[in-house]
Amino acid sequence: MSQVVLEAKSVVKKYGDQTVVSGVSFSVNKGECFALLGPNGAGKSTTMKMLYGSVQITSGELYMLGISLKKNIRDVKARIGVVPQEDGLDPEFTVYENLEIFSAFQGIDSQVAKVRIEEVLKIAQLEEMAHRSVESLSGGMKRRLAIARGLLNHPEILILDEPTVGLDPQARLWIWSFIQQLLSEGVTVIMSTHYMEEAQKLCNRVAIMDKGKILAMGTPSSLVKELIGKEVIEVEMNPKEIIYFVNRMNSEGISYQTARNQLNVHLKEGQTNEQLIQRFHGYQLTIRQPNLSDVFLKLSGHDLRDEPL
Amino acid sequence: MNIHVHKIPSVAAGIRHVWNRNFLAFKKSWLVSAFWILLEPTFFLLAIGYGLGSFVPTIQGLSYADFFYPALLCTTSMMVSFFECSYANFAKLNYQKTYSTMILSPLRPQEIVLGEIFWGATKGFFSVLGVTVVATIAGHDLNSGIFGAWLILLINSVVFSALGMIIISLVRNYDGIVYPTSGFIIPMSLFSGTYYPLEQLPELLRYLSYLFPLTHSVALVRTLVTGGSLEWYHGLQVLFLLSLAVLLTLTAIQRIQKKIIQ
Repeated sequence: MSQVVLEAKSVVKKYGDQTVVSGVSFSVNKGECFALLGPNGAGKSTTMKMLYGSVQITSGELYMLGISLKKNIRDVKARIGVVPQEDGLDPEFTVYENLEIFSAFQGIDSQVAKVRIEEVLKIAQLEEMAHRSVESLSGGMKRRLAIARGLLNHPEILILDEPTVGLDPQARLWIWSFIQQLLSEGVTVIMSTHYMEEAQKLCNRVAIMDKGKILAMGTPSSLVKELIGKEVIEVEMNPKEIIYFVNRMNSEGISYQTARNQLNVHLKEGQTNEQLIQRFHGYQLTIRQPNLSDVFLKLSGHDLRDEPL
Repeated sequence: MNIHVHKIPSVAAGIRHVWNRNFLAFKKSWLVSAFWILLEPTFFLLAIGYGLGSFVPTIQGLSYADFFYPALLCTTSMMVSFFECSYANFAKLNYQKTYSTMILSPLRPQEIVLGEIFWGATKGFFSVLGVTVVATIAGHDLNSGIFGAWLILLINSVVFSALGMIIISLVRNYDGIVYPTSGFIIPMSLFSGTYYPLEQLPELLRYLSYLFPLTHSVALVRTLVTGGSLEWYHGLQVLFLLSLAVLLTLTAIQRIQKKIIQ
């Protein structure tokens, strides 16, 4: 039985009478990569902030490394690393000084910190930038510095809030391989993302969130298999035609999803596509593997707002 | 496998680390800061103390420059501490996300706020030392009363640092800091027995001025610096300043805490 390092029980966050997170429950095992997946405004960032103590829990319980966050969040903070979405680097200091100052905040002895700073600079490939001002770094470098800062205390869990937002593809790839490296070393990774492919590539398990709730949770492949099937046929047509085909499929018990001028037909295991391809003869057809975007679309009824379909 | 022992820093260590972050930033430009810190009081002493003061024979038995110098110590302590904890810290709270980052470590909000207030007070006190040096060079009497005065000025600096932190928890942008500055800090520097004795004020305004912390700092520092005799009410004034320092600091902690942990 694997060890649970994070347990969220009916966690709620309200601002006044506005509920941002409405009772989410999930747990993360040691060594796992777990993602909260959902569009902007789904409540995943707020949930992440509750995990690392920047947002107070309105009700519910959060246990990290067996410690209740309500009771002793400082002990938890000493053992986890956090890479917030906004980096939060100190513009008045150099790369090295940023790490030095944060080591002090972490309560790391200054001699120990010296060694560790060199290590994390190397991991983040920022050795040459050590004495440059933070302002002179590119977006990708800034994110890597924020990651280096999160690693200073040898965290058992690394929390990354939208780690690749706003980065160019190269910087994103670097972060992906970094996370994979970290996982191979046994560190638990908890992240939030609105990139389906990111979650699919990196994570053992995902929780799909929308409007403050978790809609589904599981491994990316099982979610796709159970909720969508083995294949998706995308057919381009106008809304009127969509209605006609939808009525037909409803009576036949074929599952589908509509989106703008597109009809997505979901094929389950054991169903064949030949008959359907014939039915849609003359339309623009694409047959592809199902993915987490399909899952999200099916569960939420709407598209991931930032993700092209 | 490496075993990493995580020791949680004590509260005092936490405050010290926050203070130290500011000290390190200050060290980068201390020469420029020191220049301005010395230049401004020199201007004031010259223009007000000696320029304007040469038209005033004596005031409460003192030359005008001697009368004004203790007030200059107090207004400098107030201005420097207040501006450090308002303008500079507004950026740290909102734009640089300095506090949001600090809170990712085991640092507690109260340690952050206390570290900032003590830093503001340190900078205020540093300026007070600058004024003391300038004034002494200009020929003002330097006696043992300055030690007591420094202590009062340190409390005064804490009061206005804490006030600065409260202000940034209330305003939405830099403009928001202008109103308390024009509406409270500047009038206080004019109506607290700084440039002329309180007795010159209309009765109502005089009683009102007793509510200003600066009034009490000026009275105490003037008595101490000019070798005046200490009376029973000076004790009350110290108590007033101390209580205000504690009250404003607690308020600042409570308000900033809500800002950094939502």
